[in-house]
Amino acid sequence: METHRLSGKYAIAGLGMVVGVPEKELAKRKADLPGHPMLEHAIPSPVLDLSAKDLEAEAARRAIEDAGLSNKDIDGAVHVHGGPRSGRGVIEHMDAFPRMLGLPVNFYYHCGRGGGWGTIGIITALSFLELGLAKYVVIAGSREDWTRSHRRDVREQGVRGQVNLASVAGMWGPTFGRTAAAHDHSMFATRHRHEYGTTEEQFGAGAIQVRAWACKNPLALMYGRPATMEDYLASPMYIAPYHLMDMAVTTDGAVAFVLTSMERARDCPKPPVAVLGIGYGDAQGGQWWEGAAHYTRLPVAKAKEAAFGQAGIAIQDIDVAQFYDCFTAELILQLEDYGWCAKGEGGAYIEAGHIGPGGATPANTSGGLLSAYHLADMTGLSEAIFQLRGEAQERQVPNARISLVTGHGGEVFAPGMCSIHTSLVLGRP
Amino acid sequence: MAWTKPIPVVEKVMKPFWEGLKNHRFLLMKCNECGAWYWPATYCRNHRNKPFFGSLSWTDASGQGKIISFNVTRVAMRPAFKDETPYVYALIQLSEGPIISSNIINCPAESVHIDMPVRVVYRDVAEINLTIPYFEPL
Repeated sequence: METHRLSGKYAIAGLGMVVGVPEKELAKRKADLPGHPMLEHAIPSPVLDLSAKDLEAEAARRAIEDAGLSNKDIDGAVHVHGGPRSGRGVIEHMDAFPRMLGLPVNFYYHCGRGGGWGTIGIITALSFLELGLAKYVVIAGSREDWTRSHRRDVREQGVRGQVNLASVAGMWGPTFGRTAAAHDHSMFATRHRHEYGTTEEQFGAGAIQVRAWACKNPLALMYGRPATMEDYLASPMYIAPYHLMDMAVTTDGAVAFVLTSMERARDCPKPPVAVLGIGYGDAQGGQWWEGAAHYTRLPVAKAKEAAFGQAGIAIQDIDVAQFYDCFTAELILQLEDYGWCAKGEGGAYIEAGHIGPGGATPANTSGGLLSAYHLADMTGLSEAIFQLRGEAQERQVPNARISLVTGHGGEVFAPGMCSIHTSLVLGRP
Repeated sequence: MAWTKPIPVVEKVMKPFWEGLKNHRFLLMKCNECGAWYWPATYCRNHRNKPFFGSLSWTDASGQGKIISFNVTRVAMRPAFKDETPYVYALIQLSEGPIISSNIINCPAESVHIDMPVRVVYRDVAEINLTIPYFEPL
């Protein structure tokens, strides 16, 4: 198939990450698995006095080193995040990783929306690279959610889960107890069950198979904690239909990567990971008028068409998928919306064991947002890099050449959220 | 009982909606030119608009609709909702078309289902000087 003229022209040359693992658990893992490469990315949680900028700076430092470069080579930087949420920005610190590292950048700014951090970072960096305004761009994003949500004063108030905004301008739901992302996202699960008869066990099968991948990744929060259907059904029902196991973990951490031309990336020590295609879908224009139909699918169509078209690939060319799995319904919806199965059959597809280790569509091989670490689409992006470089250790998909990475989310005006979808196709040249 | 839940932010463009609620009227935006209904404040999608929502008027609506999806919170994530569990948070498609979300009250959580017809119930909360719209089975 034909490809876009930019497909494969740019590549990821370096990856750096720091991921928080609860302190005692980390000490145990280090004793059990001395020298395990994945544990080089681990830091003890809570991160206490470290803030987002500190984690980003360290991840960026590692990414630059991984690319075999020095700080003075970096001439562009992007900080990626979840985006301003209708009336409130997310810039929570007044210092930035390029300043901390002394990067002589020609540009630096913030961008991102919902869970589309890394992919939106690539889209913006590509214009600087293509215009010749930069040669090596470092893109970084971070979260410190585990530390924030585990602070004693926060816990003692009875606050659970991700600590985020309450009422802001343009936000409708908090007054009615819409206090967690699950309050929006589970609407999709309820509706999918109603329309297609999807079962509780089918949602559970997704959580269990992603957990099985986490058990192969010592960096994953849920490493060493395999789960059965019995465990899933016994998992506390927080926001029905969602059990605790249907929801993403919270973590501290940061991911950074270096984007440059394929030509330059070939001179770096690590195998380059090519950017083959990028697509973006947004449902904002339609969702308020579409009614119930909005709640059984994601805005994948345009994103897929663009990304697959640029890369010149079809769905069967994807060796390993990294879906944005903030909740279990997102696995079902994306398998359907991308076309691995027909609409309504996602539950049965997962139940057949396809996405777990040994399955036909290995997905979320890090353990995903559900069981590994929640760094938005940077969780999937980092895992795609490990897989395509052949560095994924126990969870390596043999001969993985093409990986899909998706992003999802974006609060608009609850409950009209989940409006974006990003689609990124990465490959091993 | 003191109001400890998040207080809605009343934006200027939504002020007529909140004023309507105080008078126990359920207003939606209706296009003066083509009759399309909107909530929340939205420019009409069907044609050109006059400046600042000038093509639309806040108009009395039925305050009725049906549930298109919902969830039931069994473990409160914030202390203000601890005594409310289990509570139902639902997406309601209003008879006029727009979708709103609210709690479904005055019925057991287990009786709530998709396609259930519901209607607005007004709760005046003096201490925050607002009326909050909940929904109950029709």
